[in-house]
Amino acid sequence: MVEIKNLTKYYGSHPAVLDISFTVADHEVLGFLGPNGAGKSTTMNMITGCLPSTSGTVLVDGYDITKNPMEVKRRIGYLPELPPVYPEMRVRDYLNFAAGLKQVPRRERKKQVEDAMERLRITDVQKRLIGNLSKGYRQRVGFAQALLGSPKFLILDEPTVGLDPTQVIEVRHLIQDLARDHTIIFSTHILAEVTAVCERVVIINKGQIRAVDTIANIEASVQGSLKLRLKVEGEITKVTETIRNTAGVQEIDEVEYDSVGVNSFTVKVESDDVRKPLMAALLAADCMVLEITTEKPSLEEAFVKLTSPTRKQTRDEVFEELGKKLEAEREAEETEKSAAESEAPEPESAPEAEPGAPEKPLPGKKKHKGGKR
Amino acid sequence: MFALYKKEVKSYFLSPFAYVVSALFLMVFSLFFINGISTMNSNVLKFSFSNIFYNNFFYFIFMIPLLTMRTFAEERKSHTETLWLSAPISLAKVVLAKYFAVVTVYLMMLLLTLFFPLVAYWHGSVVLTTMLCGYLGFFLWGMVCIAVGVMISALTDNPIIAAVLGEGAMILIIFLDNFTKSALIQSMPPVARVFEWFSTQRRFGVFSQGLFSLADLVFFLSLSAVVLSWTIIIIEKRRWSRG
Repeated sequence: MVEIKNLTKYYGSHPAVLDISFTVADHEVLGFLGPNGAGKSTTMNMITGCLPSTSGTVLVDGYDITKNPMEVKRRIGYLPELPPVYPEMRVRDYLNFAAGLKQVPRRERKKQVEDAMERLRITDVQKRLIGNLSKGYRQRVGFAQALLGSPKFLILDEPTVGLDPTQVIEVRHLIQDLARDHTIIFSTHILAEVTAVCERVVIINKGQIRAVDTIANIEASVQGSLKLRLKVEGEITKVTETIRNTAGVQEIDEVEYDSVGVNSFTVKVESDDVRKPLMAALLAADCMVLEITTEKPSLEEAFVKLTSPTRKQTRDEVFEELGKKLEAEREAEETEKSAAESEAPEPESAPEAEPGAPEKPLPGKKKHKGGKR
Repeated sequence: MFALYKKEVKSYFLSPFAYVVSALFLMVFSLFFINGISTMNSNVLKFSFSNIFYNNFFYFIFMIPLLTMRTFAEERKSHTETLWLSAPISLAKVVLAKYFAVVTVYLMMLLLTLFFPLVAYWHGSVVLTTMLCGYLGFFLWGMVCIAVGVMISALTDNPIIAAVLGEGAMILIIFLDNFTKSALIQSMPPVARVFEWFSTQRRFGVFSQGLFSLADLVFFLSLSAVVLSWTIIIIEKRRWSRG
């Protein structure tokens, strides 16, 4: 069992990880989710003892990392974000060395190294220099290194970064395979990965925990915003108007260009019953509905919701705000001017900055968001 | 610890690096040897190795930062230090393993120079005590320099900077004696005395005369130990403030 208790890390005055606590039970696969720079790697470095914490501690099988680091390190296999491999060494020599460093008894060394190479499918490159290997292979050599010494806990920091899609799937299978006799904590910002292999996830952002729960529970917690996705043929303003005016529609989340005259609308609705009046209204307005699907709130949405502190501003809102700001500035300037030289006959006209940036229909930028104001 | 030591020693020979440095060292050594013999006065039919050692050290000392520059700086740069930071091995052992690996490479170079006394023995006679003590002094002096080089390597993540700073430190080590003898320092006896404590050239001089001085042996060893413990502190400190 790994217990993380009030772990905090400050870099100078900047908190990288702020008072996080969670526990990982034996034989569990825990996904550690967060956007880039959320503090994932820092936390993992602290769990493995590479980085001392500012305060708080980590208990691994009851051993405290600050008081008994050797016992903790013996139980942990760590694959850091950048695989710690020496380019001038050969794969096999490197793994032998890593096994020695982890104090694997000499007679077990050969077997363990061979097993690890077998598992990561790097047996055929064992005689090659690590520096000549591709990134994917290097990552796997680093992974093999983490398995040496048969640690009870595996800590994997973004194990699939830089791998090609087949390798990603291989690594996923490997993690599932390893979960049978290891406890695994792995970090990622790829959500599909988490859904594929974990039971439980920790979502972290800006050094703080946003959620610790099973995937199902987290998904359920964001339920309530039902979304319909409509592909409609027709003039965009007319369609938008019609959709907005239908009862039960909360807002149009996103409008996406599909092909000439066809746009996809993501619409937030109150319930599934809105489908019928919506279809009817659109047909009445002489718009062809080509496709209609329901979008279920997913882990992805939960992730976005939990990691962004405020609602995302749509582009129109940003422009509007910008326009207001510019207008206010200009007004202030003008009043100042008129106060200073009230006798001056020529008022300053010709605004250089127009409120609300002009929206040109650029061919390359078809995606634009529209919000109900 | 042995695994790390073995890997470190091997890594010197995996690249042409150690070969190039030893070749250069041997070239300098042989040049001095030839020079020493050719300038030998006919009425002084004695030829001393300590002279060669003395001259050699001035050149060799500048090669030491080249040997030590990569020890920690390179690992920090390529993020391989997580390997031994997360392994069940204490930092002291890591520092010692790396230090002794450099010392071993250094010792190998010294052993190669045994060729010259052998040649001298073939054609004449060698004063064994002077030679052995000279070698011991040379080795001990080198140990201190290596410790300083390793410490400097731990200060930065750039091997080139480590080498340049190392050269500076080497100049300081070797010229501390001359500096102490300057009129300015001599005018301040307490300062001069402190500098004298750390002067290494004088102590090497004792060895090179064929004398074995326990006090100086302890000095060289303890100075290395102190510098290495600073290295441990530096790395430990950096772990705390690392971004």
